[in-house]
Amino acid sequence: MLNDVFFNVGYGHFLVLAGMLFVIGVAGVVVRRNALIMMMSIELMLNAANMTLLTFSRMWGNGSGHAFALIVIAVAAAEAAVGLAIVVAVFRGRRHIDVDRLNTLRS
Amino acid sequence: MTQRLLLLLVAFGLIFGAALVAPDLADAQPTAIDLRKGGATGPSPDLHPHSDLVEGSGKGLALLFWAFAAATVGGALFVVTRKNLIAAVMGMVGSFLGISAIYMMLYASFLSVIQMLVYAGAIMVLFVFVIMILNRPEDDPIGRTGRLGKVLAGVAILYLFARLASLLMSVRPLDAASAAAVPPPVDGNAWGSTKAVGIELFTNYVFPFEAISILLLVAVVGAIAIARPLRDDAAQEGA
Repeated sequence: MLNDVFFNVGYGHFLVLAGMLFVIGVAGVVVRRNALIMMMSIELMLNAANMTLLTFSRMWGNGSGHAFALIVIAVAAAEAAVGLAIVVAVFRGRRHIDVDRLNTLRS
Repeated sequence: MTQRLLLLLVAFGLIFGAALVAPDLADAQPTAIDLRKGGATGPSPDLHPHSDLVEGSGKGLALLFWAFAAATVGGALFVVTRKNLIAAVMGMVGSFLGISAIYMMLYASFLSVIQMLVYAGAIMVLFVFVIMILNRPEDDPIGRTGRLGKVLAGVAILYLFARLASLLMSVRPLDAASAAAVPPPVDGNAWGSTKAVGIELFTNYVFPFEAISILLLVAVVGAIAIARPLRDDAAQEGA
């Protein structure tokens, strides 16, 4: 049984790996307070989504997943550029990027 | 201590993976990989509903998968737990290298290379630049929560993972016939190659492709507009 799980790598392994990656990303966004770490965690989640896309693409024998994954990568690049610009702008005004202290809009 | 452990895990995963690849490369021969394993003629599809070609390729590939999976998860944990931002980015790079190798195992060779170039190359360099600009390596890493909050968070994360994994595992291919129909007829063994992805992108997905070009343009302009120094900042520097 254990041998089977270990050496018989199939789609399920890839999917569970993607799920793990996604959950670690969620934990990073929820737990950390540094804006940069939160953005990196978002990138991790996007990668997990990409991995499921490619796995399902392979599983169903349909190449559309590859096109989707490419588009997701492009969107992630755009998001990283704009997000990092926002981080730089916030840091310039406040000298910190602690998201718990960015509560000007709250009151 | 944990940092060393995680670093060791990542390094071990990458080195182990490379050591496993090297002999395969040495006696690699251009045999066509049978993409149709695991279908109707595959070994007992009921017993292993998710069995795929990786199974048919021997134990070496399975070990390789575990090595790169360890690198991926170890790097991701590194990102989430490290206080030092540069260490977090390095863990991220290790994670992306592992993901790239995993893509290669899914026969997505083009996406694998793109992952390496765009993520491990461009996006990570961007992150490193911003970290260098901010120049604040240490900060209070984790939100203030009591023990109860930590336990609750851990339980919630585990629950999320369990639900996600069970949902993902419950997906099956349509039937044995469609599973055997892999791959579509693109030039023999070219599943996931540049050509196959290009054909897909320029026939079925032309509009998303063009939309992406506009999105990237908007992102470039927006990033410059946001990150530009404010006018009074410039005035202060001039004064």
